[in-house]
Amino acid sequence: MTKRFGKDLSRRTVLTGLAGVAAGVFAPAIIGSARAGDGKIDLGGYRGPELTSDPVTLRFLRQDFTPAVNTLLEKAYAAFTAQYPNITISEEKVPYGDLQKKQLVYMMSNDAPDIMIGRTDFSEVYHYSKAALPLQDYLSPDYVADIPDNLRAAASAGGNLYCAPWETTVMMLYFNRDLFDKVGMQPPPEVDNAEGGWTDEQFIAQMEELNGKLKAAGDTNSWAYAASSQGNGGPGSNYSQFESIWTRSQGDPNAPRDSSAYKTLAGISADGLSVSGCIDSPEAIKGMQLYQSLFTKGITPLGPVRNQYPGGLAATYMGGLLFSSRFQDPAQAPAFKWGVSLPPKGNILFSNSTSDAPLIWSKTKHPAEAAALLAFLCNDANRRDFHRAWGSMPSRMSLIHSMDEFQTKQPFKLAQALLDASYGAPRTPGAFDYFNAMNPVVKDIALGADPAKVLPETAGKIDKLLAKYK
Amino acid sequence: MAAAGTMARRRQIGRSGELLLGSAMVLPAFVGLALFKLWPLLSAALDSLQTFRPFDRVSTGWVGLQNYIDLLADPDFRSAPVNTLLYIVLIVGITIPLALYLAVLLDRRLPASTWARNAIIAALATSEAVTALVWNQMYEPSVGLFNAILTALHLPEQPFLTSGSEALVSIVIMTVWKEIGLPVLIFLAGLQAIPQEVPEAAKLDGASERQTFWYVTLPMLKPSIVVALFMMTVTATRMFTPILIMTQGGPQGATNNLALYSYQLAFEYQSPGLAAASVICMVGVLALVTAAQGYLLQDKDSK
Repeated sequence: MTKRFGKDLSRRTVLTGLAGVAAGVFAPAIIGSARAGDGKIDLGGYRGPELTSDPVTLRFLRQDFTPAVNTLLEKAYAAFTAQYPNITISEEKVPYGDLQKKQLVYMMSNDAPDIMIGRTDFSEVYHYSKAALPLQDYLSPDYVADIPDNLRAAASAGGNLYCAPWETTVMMLYFNRDLFDKVGMQPPPEVDNAEGGWTDEQFIAQMEELNGKLKAAGDTNSWAYAASSQGNGGPGSNYSQFESIWTRSQGDPNAPRDSSAYKTLAGISADGLSVSGCIDSPEAIKGMQLYQSLFTKGITPLGPVRNQYPGGLAATYMGGLLFSSRFQDPAQAPAFKWGVSLPPKGNILFSNSTSDAPLIWSKTKHPAEAAALLAFLCNDANRRDFHRAWGSMPSRMSLIHSMDEFQTKQPFKLAQALLDASYGAPRTPGAFDYFNAMNPVVKDIALGADPAKVLPETAGKIDKLLAKYK
Repeated sequence: MAAAGTMARRRQIGRSGELLLGSAMVLPAFVGLALFKLWPLLSAALDSLQTFRPFDRVSTGWVGLQNYIDLLADPDFRSAPVNTLLYIVLIVGITIPLALYLAVLLDRRLPASTWARNAIIAALATSEAVTALVWNQMYEPSVGLFNAILTALHLPEQPFLTSGSEALVSIVIMTVWKEIGLPVLIFLAGLQAIPQEVPEAAKLDGASERQTFWYVTLPMLKPSIVVALFMMTVTATRMFTPILIMTQGGPQGATNNLALYSYQLAFEYQSPGLAAASVICMVGVLALVTAAQGYLLQDKDSK
C-alpha cells in the first residue's frame, strides 16, 4: 500500500510531480546543448542511409562508468531520441571485468545487443566470427582517416574497420611524491617523451628500497606499488592490456622474425595460431620472473584489493591517463603531490594500443540506426565531454589536437608519446582463448608458480586451443 | 448375466478413467522434467560426441568419443574430478554432523536458540555471490579480517586462498557456513516429527541420554539424514559461484572442479563439445556418488 504523506497526497504523486517539473526545466537545456546550429544533432562521421521512422529499440551493452560519465551518456541518448523519437535506447551496464565474457555469451546465443563495447585487441575475433558490422560502410573516409594508423590497424581485421574510435589508453607510472620525500628517495623522472624513465630492474630495486624504508619508518599501511585495478582487480585480471607489458617489453621489434626476441614482442606466430616460443621464450620467462618479484618481495598486495594509490597509500601505480585527468580536477585532486613517468622498460619501452571500443552486432536489425547512434556518441562534442569526464585519450587525431592539454601538460604529452610508440595486441581469432588462458597463469605466477615451468605448459595449452581456428 | 456385464463394463470404464486422470495429473510434471532435465541432458550427451565451430556453435561433425579422449589427455581435467570428489567428501563430511549437532541443540529450545536459528537461516538466504565476495575480502592476505585476527593473536598469517594446499579448504569452510542452514532445517523437522513417547519410553527403560540419541533418535532420523545427504552431495558437486569468484579454480587448478572446468571450456575456450563431455563426466560422478550413498544407506531391515 502506498504510504501517504497527507490525506490525499501520496509519495508517488509528489515524486511524479517533481520528476515532471525537473524534466520540464532541464530537458530543453540538455537536448539543446547537443544540437548543431541548424537544430539537427551532429551525427559525426555518419554517412549511411536515411534513418527509418518506424519504431526501433536499440540495445547497448557497456561497462558501468562513473556517475558523471553515465549522466553524460544519458544526456546524449536524450538528445538523440529527441531528434529521432521513434528510436528507443535500452542500456545494459555490467562490471568492466565481465564485459567481454557477457558479450561473448550474447554472441553465442544469437541475440546480442545492437551496440556493444568491445576491445580492439579482439578485432580478429570479430572478423573470424562475423560478429561485427564493417563500420567503413557507415562512416565517411575522412572520419576513418582521422584515426591514428596504429589504432585503426588495431580496430580493423580483414580490411574492415570493426571498432568505432571511442577512446584509447596507455599505461603510465604514477607516483606519490610525498611518499618518496618521506623516505628521502628520488621519484622516477617526469619526462614528456618516450626517452628516460626506469628500467624494470631499476623499478624493482627502487620499490624494494622504498618499501623497506617505509616499514622502517613505521608506515605499515603504505605500499611501494599499488594493487592492479585492471579488469576485476588483482594479479592476472587483464593480461591483454596490462600484465603483458612485463613479457612483451622484453622483446625486440628489430630482431630477426624467427628470433625469440621478436616472437616475445609479437606474442603470437604470424598466422595467429601458435604461441609456443612467444610466451614461453627465455625473454618472456625473464619478464614474468621480474613481475613475480613484485609479489615475492612484498612490494605490492597479492589479493584483489582496492587500488591504494588514489588514497595516498601507495608510492606508485600503473594506470591510464584517466588518473591525470581526474587529478587535475580540483574536486577530484588527491591529497598528495603526484607525478607521472614512463612505464618501466624491459628491452624496449612497451605500450599497448589496445582500447575499449564499441562495435555493432552484425545481425542487428537496425544497422543504420545503430551506426548513427554510435556516430553521434563519437562526434567531437560528445567525445570531448566524455574524455574530460572519464579521462581517457581520444582515438582521433583532430580531437587530440583540439584539446589544449595534449600540447601543454606533461602527463598528456607523455601519453601522446606513448600512444605513438605503442604496439598492437597479438592478432588471433582465438584472442579470447589466449587471454582467458593467460590470466590465471599470471595470477599463479604472482602466487609463486615458477614461470619457467608454467609458461611452456600454458603455451602448449593455448596452441591446442588455437588449433580449432585453423 | 446382463447386470454382471454392466458392472464389469463400469469397472473397466472406471479403470480407464482413473488411468486417464492419473496420466493427466502426471503429465505436467513429466513434461517439465522432460523439457528442463532430460532434454538438456540428452542434448549434452549428443553434443559431447560432436565438434562445433567457435562462436556460433554450428556442429562441424560427429567425432565419436574423441572429446572424451581429449579430456583425458588434459592435465586440468584429471585434477577436476578429484577436486569434485574432495569437495563432496569435505562438505558432506563437515556439514552433516555439524548440522545434526546444531539441530539437536536448537531442538532443546535453549536460551538464544531463536536467534541462532535465524542466524543460520539468514546465512542460507544470502546470495551466493555476495557471500563469496565478503569471504574473499575476509581471506585477503594483506588486509583481510582472518589474517588480522591471526596477527593480533601473534600467530603466523595464512595464505588462505593463495596457497594450493589451503585454498580448497578455505572454500569448503565458506560453503559449510553458507549451506548448513538447509540440513539443519531438515534435521529440525525430523527431530520434531519423532513422537515424544519414544525417547521417554527409552529413558524409562533406563537408557542414558547418549544411548537414547544413538539408538532411538538417530535411527528415527534416518529419512532426514538421507535427504540431507543427497541435497548436500548435489550442492557440493555443482559448486560453482564461490570458486569462480574466490579463486577462479586456482592456484594452479587446486580448486577447480568439474562444474567450473566445464564452464571454462564452454565460455572461455569456445569448446562446446569438450564442455558437454565434461558435463557428462560430472553427471557420471554425481550418479556414482549418489548410488554409493544409496547403497550404504539402504534399509536392510526392509528387505
